[in-house]
Amino acid sequence: MTFWRDVFAWFTTSANWQGVDGIPRRLWEHVALSGSAVLIAVVLALPLALVLGHLGRGGFLAVNVTNVGRAVPSFAILVIAQQITRDIGTKPAMIALVALAIPPILTNTYVGMRAVDEELRESARGMGMTGRQVLTQVEAPLAAPVIMAGIRTAAVQVVATATLAALIAGGGLGRFIIDGFAQQDNVKAFGGAVLVALLAVVTELTLGFVQRRVTPGGRVEERPVVAEVGPAGGVAALPARAVQAVLPARP
Amino acid sequence: MQEALPCAATDAWLCLDWVGDHTDEIGAALRQHVELTVVAVVIGMLISAPLSLVAWRHKRAGAAILSVTGILYTIPSIALFGLLIPFSGLTFQTAEIALVGYTLLVIIRNVLAGLEGVPDDVRESARGMGLTPTQQLLRVEIPLALPTIFAGIRSATVTTIGLVTITSLITLGGLGNLILDGLRRDFRTPLVVGSVLSLALAVVADLLLVGLQRLLTPWARGAAAG
Amino acid sequence: MSRNHGTKLAALLAALAVVLTACGGDSGDAKDKTSTKSASAGNAKDKKIVVGAANFAENQILAHMYAKVLTKAGFKTKVQTGDLTRETLSTALQAGDIHLTPEYVGTDTEYWNKEINGAKAKALASSDVKKSAAALRKLLAAKGLVAYEPSPAADQNAFAVTKKTAAKHKLAKMSDLGKVASQLTLGGPAECPKRPFCQPGLQKTYGAKFKEFKALDAGGPLTINALTAGKIDVGLVFSSDGSVAAKGLVVLADDKKLQTADNIIPVLRKDVDSAELKAALNALSAKLTTKALQSLNKAVTVDKKDPDEVAEAWLKKNGLL
Repeated sequence: MTFWRDVFAWFTTSANWQGVDGIPRRLWEHVALSGSAVLIAVVLALPLALVLGHLGRGGFLAVNVTNVGRAVPSFAILVIAQQITRDIGTKPAMIALVALAIPPILTNTYVGMRAVDEELRESARGMGMTGRQVLTQVEAPLAAPVIMAGIRTAAVQVVATATLAALIAGGGLGRFIIDGFAQQDNVKAFGGAVLVALLAVVTELTLGFVQRRVTPGGRVEERPVVAEVGPAGGVAALPARAVQAVLPARP
Repeated sequence: MQEALPCAATDAWLCLDWVGDHTDEIGAALRQHVELTVVAVVIGMLISAPLSLVAWRHKRAGAAILSVTGILYTIPSIALFGLLIPFSGLTFQTAEIALVGYTLLVIIRNVLAGLEGVPDDVRESARGMGLTPTQQLLRVEIPLALPTIFAGIRSATVTTIGLVTITSLITLGGLGNLILDGLRRDFRTPLVVGSVLSLALAVVADLLLVGLQRLLTPWARGAAAG
Repeated sequence: MSRNHGTKLAALLAALAVVLTACGGDSGDAKDKTSTKSASAGNAKDKKIVVGAANFAENQILAHMYAKVLTKAGFKTKVQTGDLTRETLSTALQAGDIHLTPEYVGTDTEYWNKEINGAKAKALASSDVKKSAAALRKLLAAKGLVAYEPSPAADQNAFAVTKKTAAKHKLAKMSDLGKVASQLTLGGPAECPKRPFCQPGLQKTYGAKFKEFKALDAGGPLTINALTAGKIDVGLVFSSDGSVAAKGLVVLADDKKLQTADNIIPVLRKDVDSAELKAALNALSAKLTTKALQSLNKAVTVDKKDPDEVAEAWLKKNGLL
């Protein structure tokens, strides 16, 4: 019972809410790192995948990049980034996080674009729309829910892996957990864990809300057909309707 | 004193002589990794089975189960370890509780999706043949849902293999120990070996599961299954 | 359509689960409290002695050395490594998950001092090895632990900067840090902000309040690389680290003697204490020197050799194996 009292004390000690090692600062570091990584990944992957999806090219790559990506542990990617850059802190962490965020965004965007009904595409072209117009006015809006699902997947995975950045002298909420382990301070580690868990859930729910907003009809499918995935096999036959593609690989 | 390993003192990504000298350690790490993974996935399947059936039969309970396992799935693994350690210590059990937890959402979701995907006319003919709901489930629906269920098991397995590496931070680790060693010692070879073997293990596990799936669903072989 | 596939699959899985759960339970061996707690006085050699090593090269080398000389003396041993710190090891030592660990007189004395007498307790360790060791033994006794003889070999915390930083801020000794610390970043192990001979000590003894602290590792490659790459200005290194000079780093002299006598000393549970154990470990401690530690450390951290091999080679060379 003293453990719970200590945890409560940790959360209510004002010293823990101030300064470089305070909760607000660490929370901000975590959100900033995660947000930037997802943003960069979107900028890098989204346009490419939209075009590939529109043209129907590069499908093998677009789909299997996630299959392979999920099979490489995020912990490994983080340490490899540290070794490649020979650096610590934000830079290698950012590189690793962007690398982790790209596959789900790439794959989902491609899959979402391909899943658009071919007849719709043809009638749009028949109406005289250019390729670009078809992409922006027909395909992308229809693919939006799946694209959003991909961004949501990426975001949750990034928030989780950003926790490990503490191992390479990064900041963020992971500091409480890693330092807590090292200092045998179970209360600090637990407190940090609660904060990280809350942040991850909030991220998932918030982006889920956004996903619902961009879904025509407003409802996200509760039990979509899950595409068959795995490093050994590509995606099986896709249904014509929107597919909620791969679930996030846990870090 | 031996000669300094010329390779290890450089920045080489892979020193084969180190690998050759440490096959025991690598083998032990691999074995531990496989053990942690298999236990997690099997227990995950055992727990998911009844939960899936409950969710299948009772929609409201199903929604609750999916919510809870969904939240569990969202919690980052190092955080989940941090939440469990004050109660279950730095043990195999702590790691497994977390690892099993992560398999639940994926497997249950896929079981439900698979069952839902059974064509209505097949269900009706089963009913017409006089099968009870349980017989229908065991003899018709589950076998037809197997490809989707397997997709879930494959996904859960690959995910678990990745997560096991993080258990190196709580004194277990499997191949994660090699990765952590690489970080701690500024030594690229164990890092590369640990990473490559994790990837290879995921591919092999996936292939084995696909093989098992084909064995158990001979009628699906003609289809486009991956 | 096969009628029995669903049931066959279920049976197969159940069997697998039973087998694997049985296996899974055993692999928690090192952490299994019940197997290491037997306190029988006779048959001291039947009990497996678990030697715990902290997460840096030197401690791992020492732990392997302890294990090897004990094995030679007829004991069953096992070395427990991992990402472990003094705090984790102390918990494990008290719980009986490990039995023995190589410690450092001064630092360990103050660690137990704070644990037992509170955070504001008056310092008991000093640069006098004998006095500090005596104080340590008294503290350990309260926890059912004992310590053998300290070795002439010592390794304490040291703080290093690059030659460039030393020139820029005119740093030669630790006292010089007081004025400029607020512009500098300190790097060290994650425990540093809580360790009396690390960050708090720097502030108290030298008035050095750093701009920022970065958690890296315990005097290992992350810290050393961060120093040479300019990511941190001051880094915690170990005085027995062989690579410091080689990397062009300058160790600041501890002029106010913040660090105490950190001679290597075996700390163990009373229930594994025996005359033979003592003889084996004391013989080893007597032969160790700081110089030996430096070359052993270099072999592991720079040449990437295994602590195990390095320990074995040194023991053989010195007639202890």
